Amino acid sequence: MTTCMTEKFDRLRKVYPEEMTSSLVLPLLQLMQEEKGHLTESDAVFIAEYLDVPKIQVKEALTWYSMLYRQSVGKHVVKVCRNIACSLNGAERVLEHIEKKLGIKAGETTSDEKFTLLTVECLASCGTAPMMQIDDTYYENLTEDSIDKVLEALS
Amino acid sequence: MELKINNQIVEAEAGELLLQVALRNGVDIPHFCYHSCLSIAGNCRICLVKVEGQPKLAPSCNLIVAEGMEVSTDCPEVQEARRDVMQFILNDHPVDCGICDKAGECRLQEYQVKYGEAEPLSLEDKHPKPKFYDLSPRIQLDSERCILCSRCVRFTQEISGSKQLGIVERGHSARVERMDQKPFDDPYSDNVISLCPVGALLSKDFMYQSRVWYLEPVKSVCTGCARACSIQVWRRKQEWRFNSFGDELNKKVYRITPLENEAINGPWLCNKGFDMHRTMSRERALTPMVGGVEVSADAMIKAARKLVSGAQNPAIIISAQASNEELKAAQAALTDKFTVYTRKDYGPSHGEVLEDDFMICLDKNPNGDGVYRIFGRNVIDNPLEHDLVVVWGDNLRHEDVAGARLICLGSFASGREKDREVFVPISTLFERSGTFTNFEGVDNRFEQVFEKPSSVLHAADFFRRLSE
Amino acid sequence: MSDQRIFMNFDVTADSHNLAAYRDRGGYQAFEKALREQTPDDIQAEVDASGLRGRGGAGFPTGMKWSFVNKQAPVVYLCCNADEGEPGTFKDRWIFEHNPHQLIEGILLASYALRVRHAFVYIRGEFDLPLRRLREALQEAYDANLVGENVLDTDFSSDIIVHRGAGAYVCGEESSLLTSLEGFKAYPRNKPPFPAVKGLYQKPTIINNVETLATVPWIMTHGGAEYAKIGTEWNSGTRIFGISGHVNNPGLFEKEAGYSLKEIIFEDAGGIRGGKSLKAVIPGGSSTPILKADEIDTITLDAENLQKHGSMVGSGGVIVIGEGTCMVRLLQVLTRFYAHESCGQCTPCREGSALMNAIISRIIAGKGRSEDVERLEKTTKGIMGKTVCALGDAAAMPVQSFITKFRDEFDYFVEHGRSINDGRLEI
Repeated sequence: MTTCMTEKFDRLRKVYPEEMTSSLVLPLLQLMQEEKGHLTESDAVFIAEYLDVPKIQVKEALTWYSMLYRQSVGKHVVKVCRNIACSLNGAERVLEHIEKKLGIKAGETTSDEKFTLLTVECLASCGTAPMMQIDDTYYENLTEDSIDKVLEALS
Repeated sequence: MELKINNQIVEAEAGELLLQVALRNGVDIPHFCYHSCLSIAGNCRICLVKVEGQPKLAPSCNLIVAEGMEVSTDCPEVQEARRDVMQFILNDHPVDCGICDKAGECRLQEYQVKYGEAEPLSLEDKHPKPKFYDLSPRIQLDSERCILCSRCVRFTQEISGSKQLGIVERGHSARVERMDQKPFDDPYSDNVISLCPVGALLSKDFMYQSRVWYLEPVKSVCTGCARACSIQVWRRKQEWRFNSFGDELNKKVYRITPLENEAINGPWLCNKGFDMHRTMSRERALTPMVGGVEVSADAMIKAARKLVSGAQNPAIIISAQASNEELKAAQAALTDKFTVYTRKDYGPSHGEVLEDDFMICLDKNPNGDGVYRIFGRNVIDNPLEHDLVVVWGDNLRHEDVAGARLICLGSFASGREKDREVFVPISTLFERSGTFTNFEGVDNRFEQVFEKPSSVLHAADFFRRLSE
Repeated sequence: MSDQRIFMNFDVTADSHNLAAYRDRGGYQAFEKALREQTPDDIQAEVDASGLRGRGGAGFPTGMKWSFVNKQAPVVYLCCNADEGEPGTFKDRWIFEHNPHQLIEGILLASYALRVRHAFVYIRGEFDLPLRRLREALQEAYDANLVGENVLDTDFSSDIIVHRGAGAYVCGEESSLLTSLEGFKAYPRNKPPFPAVKGLYQKPTIINNVETLATVPWIMTHGGAEYAKIGTEWNSGTRIFGISGHVNNPGLFEKEAGYSLKEIIFEDAGGIRGGKSLKAVIPGGSSTPILKADEIDTITLDAENLQKHGSMVGSGGVIVIGEGTCMVRLLQVLTRFYAHESCGQCTPCREGSALMNAIISRIIAGKGRSEDVERLEKTTKGIMGKTVCALGDAAAMPVQSFITKFRDEFDYFVEHGRSINDGRLEI
């Protein structure tokens, strides 16, 4: 597993100028999270040792960025935007609907570990509000029906 | 170049920071995160000043001086900014002064009284954070008191190089932390206690021992290695000495802190230095002895004189823990028939850092250089063949002195005092004054902190009386 | 006003973002001409003449920013700020999805002008389709030898590296972006030194917004003077405005700077839904002071005019609020946002943004106290002008302007423990 990971690291490292090893902290954290789902301090140490940067630097980054998870998440992470344009267009109702549909509150994971529900800030989709992002994909102009369809398709 | 601070003309060099120039000219600009030996952080925002012609207040810790600059550090706008910033800093600060060791030497207290507003800005519940947390066995971290000035973090990044501390979490949840899986075992860790402007990082050794206003510092020197750093030894003030509870608390060293010395250690000290009082509080050997029997000082000197005059081929092993004054007294007392050996009497203990690029020297004695200047160097390389050996210092090695009669001078109990022909109990670092010469040839004077116990002698007195 | 378009000047189809389609529209001709016939200083001169201002929100003159770079410096970096995160803003996304090559050409022209060997696109980590389109476009550009070693067989070499963010609004701030790009938690930096002097890894660095860079090809095709003719005297060119909120027809509209705010809301965006009336507008992204309906009659969408009216053109994100909206609850959406996004470095923002959110949250929970509104105002004054970066001001300005313009709603909520208009945010 670790050799496979370091190979992936090596490939990503070549993208950046040689003197910019430190810049790889965030890309490597994201790469590891894609593989493992969430990250622990040991993962931060692994990356720090690979790049030869201070371990505390990677730990700080891991705790600071919203898209990095330190607790396990479900197979699909549902991120509902609650910022201003979405709120003006019914984000609260969207969230309520999803909470009811999945049977969990924002911040929680379903017991079958299929879905984690999170609230997030503006995703630059204000013209198509309300909206949500599940994993990588944006789902815009949400209605109760469209939400139901998406969630059912992913279950 | 010249510039104006509060309408007063001051001189400055190109590239200097306004804060530095102001402080040097007696203008007190408050600051938490700025430290002259650390990189500029500019996060506390208490040092904001008004620069003529600029619409926004500028942090003086990041303001490079310019010819003709006009700065005000006390106009109403600056005063109001300070009040605002103090309110934000205190926003979540627990009102711990009653139980916080930092009280009395706390910048937050000082600045609040001087610059702050009486009313708090917020009536919200305070945000709880990890409290009374053991950052290491030596240091307690209280994240509620922490104002996130990042001095401790920058110290481990830039000065000690251990890079063991950081600030994790975003925004309001930010707190100082180390790696979970690694203890904060930086050999210079305790400097963050001195650096911390508030009571967030506190010495566990000193915790709750005394209020600081009952204590006073005495200028001394660390004997942990050949750098001979300047330290402050804290004892109870004369007027606050206890009349009851016995004398132990009045003769106690409450803590050691670094004393800034530009020529030797800057404002820093290694952990061994911070522990000097522990080093000095090992069990003492307090009574003169002859042949294993406790005697008076006079009787002991008499016996020593007799041994010395009767010896054909005496030797002395000089201690590198001795002060220059004591070494000179010994030199004056010794006759030509003495062979003088020099030795680094203290070596590193198990687990101690041997040496590094920063401050720690391989030689674990403060006055090796002083010994060299006075006696030269004559290292013991085979077992000695002398009939009498005067062993000065605590670390006696048997293979050095087999077959000889011994006069031993020492401060700390080894359990072997009764095996010596003559044992001379001598005063410790805190019980005398003197000078060490460090490995770079810099002299550093230490002052007496306590009276020596009456049964103990100063080494200098012993040598003087020996030759009478 | 003319109907000049710089970005949205073609019909979007399934292939209109491809290299071939971009070339059909005249793409990369300006770049080729620059490489073969012009000098870096020529590019600088045209950008100076254009009066182009940054489109990220701060509106700093682009030519001036570029001129701060030491031309003799051995290493200069260029960063395209694609961390579009200002609430109400969704224009850079359009450029990635539908016109990525115009951005790439803009980056190449800027790289040529500034003698940059490595350019970075710092793109927010949440973007999905914009990232994929950008990567596809870059691959096309590399394949066509428009990027890489010896571009178009000249001495000029350029690499464009895509670097993803990981969820932090503050990374849209220049110096925070650099700290993030260097692999750290993204604390902004104290200035001076400015990035153009000491930026990425302490080298001179220019950071420009996506829309700003994507303007450069047009400027080089038609000339800076032509660009300056569009828009207003102090705010040249066109902008992509994003209209969102309670309108019938939300979306992106490219208009000349100086376009009427009223017109963009009621004509282009179709007015307020359900035939309701307008209550308020946030003209340039959530950090800009809010305007009441009766204030906007003469307001035009350009920097000078909006500043005169006590707000800012910002990022061009127009958020429209219809009648009946509870302004107190709406403000809490914003205070929650800024408290979440405050990086934590400096005291006023870290403490102040959390405090403002705490007070407003308590008010809307029905537990407001009589001194709350005053304390909020005092907090905003305490933050403004004292922080390391503009996020502190951005957090304080909405609170200040909402309270100033809708004081009665706040007072009501505090006194009665509930909203003056049933707490609704939708229309």
